[in-house]
Amino acid sequence: MTRAERRELQEKQRAAKKEKEAAAPAGDGAGGKGKAKAGASSAKATTSQNAQPSGTPSKDAGRDAPGSQDPDGPRGQRIFSHFGSQKPPSSGKTPSSDPIHPAVIRLGLQFSEFKIVGANARCIATLTALRNVIQDYSTPANTTLSRHLEKHLGPQITHLVSARPMAVTMGNAIRQLKKYISECDIDLPDKDAKDLLCDKIDTYIRDRIVLADQVIVENAVKKINDGDTVLTYARSSAVQKILLGAHGEGKNISVVVVDSRPLLEGKNLLSVLTNAGIPCTYMLLPSLGSYLSSHSGNISSVLLGAHSIHADGAVFSRSGTALVAMMARTHTIPVLVACETYKFSEAVVLDGFTKNELGDLSVFPPYPSVIPNSKLLRERSPNSKLELFNPLYDLTSAKDITAVVTEVGIIPASSISLIPLALGR
Amino acid sequence: MFELMQALRDGANALKSHYLNSISINAGCELFIEFVRLFPHETKSFDDLKVEIGKQGRQYAKEAMSYRSKIADLALGFIKDGSVILTHSYSRVVMQALLKAHKLKRISVYVTEARPRGLGVKTYEALTAAGIPCTIVLDSAVAYVMDKVDIVLVGSEAVVESGGLINAVGSNQMAIIAKAANVPFYAMAESYKFHSLFPLSQYDLPTHTPNTLAFPKHSVRPADLSVVRPSTLSVHTNPPPSPIRTSTSLAAIHSPVQFSMGPDQTKLNPEVDYTRPDLISLVFSDVGILTPDGVSQYLVGMFAG
Repeated sequence: MTRAERRELQEKQRAAKKEKEAAAPAGDGAGGKGKAKAGASSAKATTSQNAQPSGTPSKDAGRDAPGSQDPDGPRGQRIFSHFGSQKPPSSGKTPSSDPIHPAVIRLGLQFSEFKIVGANARCIATLTALRNVIQDYSTPANTTLSRHLEKHLGPQITHLVSARPMAVTMGNAIRQLKKYISECDIDLPDKDAKDLLCDKIDTYIRDRIVLADQVIVENAVKKINDGDTVLTYARSSAVQKILLGAHGEGKNISVVVVDSRPLLEGKNLLSVLTNAGIPCTYMLLPSLGSYLSSHSGNISSVLLGAHSIHADGAVFSRSGTALVAMMARTHTIPVLVACETYKFSEAVVLDGFTKNELGDLSVFPPYPSVIPNSKLLRERSPNSKLELFNPLYDLTSAKDITAVVTEVGIIPASSISLIPLALGR
Repeated sequence: MFELMQALRDGANALKSHYLNSISINAGCELFIEFVRLFPHETKSFDDLKVEIGKQGRQYAKEAMSYRSKIADLALGFIKDGSVILTHSYSRVVMQALLKAHKLKRISVYVTEARPRGLGVKTYEALTAAGIPCTIVLDSAVAYVMDKVDIVLVGSEAVVESGGLINAVGSNQMAIIAKAANVPFYAMAESYKFHSLFPLSQYDLPTHTPNTLAFPKHSVRPADLSVVRPSTLSVHTNPPPSPIRTSTSLAAIHSPVQFSMGPDQTKLNPEVDYTRPDLISLVFSDVGILTPDGVSQYLVGMFAG
């Protein structure tokens, strides 16, 4: 049977199952599960000969069993439902008695509307909002700050995560904050403890992000020579600082900015660089292949940013970064990734599919601008066959990366796992 | 303390400026400066600290003499009886390894001439004196001979942070050909040659100047193409040098005319090159047998603190 015929068979089986369920509403939890399992095993049998890369049919049948997803919903949403996707942020009330702090509500809205993007920006914004929460916090009777504050922060963080899935940078920073809280001296009066915590937050931002970026700029600028052309993708705050730094040192550089829909973040970078007087070229990702075939001799290096970096050296970054790195490697152009050490994630991820985030297209600028997004989205009626898939991140493997520029130096991607050791942690 | 560090750095710079090819000196200096920086100053006075540092430095220098012997022992396990080894230019650590292997096993060695300094000839003479069958190979014949070779063994000027190798020019070529022919390429380096440099390409080396492999600035087209300027060529022949003939008539020459480039052309050529870590199978060093990844991890641990 061809794949299309198999799918037809499955659709028929699914429709038949639906009728049975509608006819026998009593067979809710257990009965539905049993039928779904039977459906799953038959689906597995029919597809056993056909090695489907995404395991689509068996996953679909599996998803039917818990019954939490809408079986009539678009298939795409079911396959990738393990990705975080956006939901409108919940209202200010939570099941527990703690109301959400206004700074956190505001930040949640900004996250969900993509007004604040980028790993560094989101982390700094999160820490600043939590700082406000801590300042306005007062320990209730019969408990201590070091024990209760963490619990108090919980719902605030959950609210932020409901707006957009947690960034690795946010996670690392919050973990460090919780460590500081638990280390708080019990005898310290509330005000002093809160001031100490706010101080520690400020120091974290200053040391791990701001100062780290300065050292990264110093290290990276050594690798950029007068007359170089640097290629970059989308918009990384670290890369922007590096390029401005090199230009500020008097080096004559030109920049190629590669951008992609739907975020079109490269436009921001382009305006900052051109305002500084750096000659730039702008293109969309699909043209990069043709450009590199003819101009690879002009490009001295590729400079990329990172959302996070994993223990095996793989870089998790804006969707499209992996393509740029792979193409650069094919043309033997060195690929440098600028990444602060606080972005290190101990997990090892094998591909961009395991962990990712889907972006809702309604918040992004439409393209071409004459066709509004609503027309695209109108297609997505419940029975529509059209599914729009917009993952925001992808994974660049370590072998495509020549070097990672961190505040502890320029190191090869495979040695990333030693950084916590080198930093004495 | 800071003045001491500054003085050390000034001294290192002075040393480096004396030599054209200063990479290995750089490596050694960086290592010592790093050692002084991390040395715990528990001593009572600065003089005591100075004496202590001096003592440790001298002891290290003495121990360093034994590193080559350690590396030679490690390499023994990888040299099988009857193997054919290819090496490049002259390296003291490779010499020790080959001489040690010769005592226990039968080996034969190809060594490249390593123009322009021709240090391969030095290797040939030393090996032949020790009784090891050895043949000098033209630098351009490395690909020709590679299928006869069991392992490639080279020394190093420095091993860098990426896990790559900096060695006499021709090593990169040898590594690429070895990879294509599936022959293991082993580098031997004492641990004081591990350097925290990170070259992104050949032209990112500190030894690469704008003059390296630059085209002559004023290239004038000769009016009469049948006469080529003889100034850049020096001819080694027994008959008196005749005006250089054009390409069509060169084929007709039967006498063994040998040309070699003059000193001004030699100056434009590189002395060292960079071999990427993915071309190197293993690095033998006194801290152990490391993969190129392992070298970079060792360096990160040492210098990134």
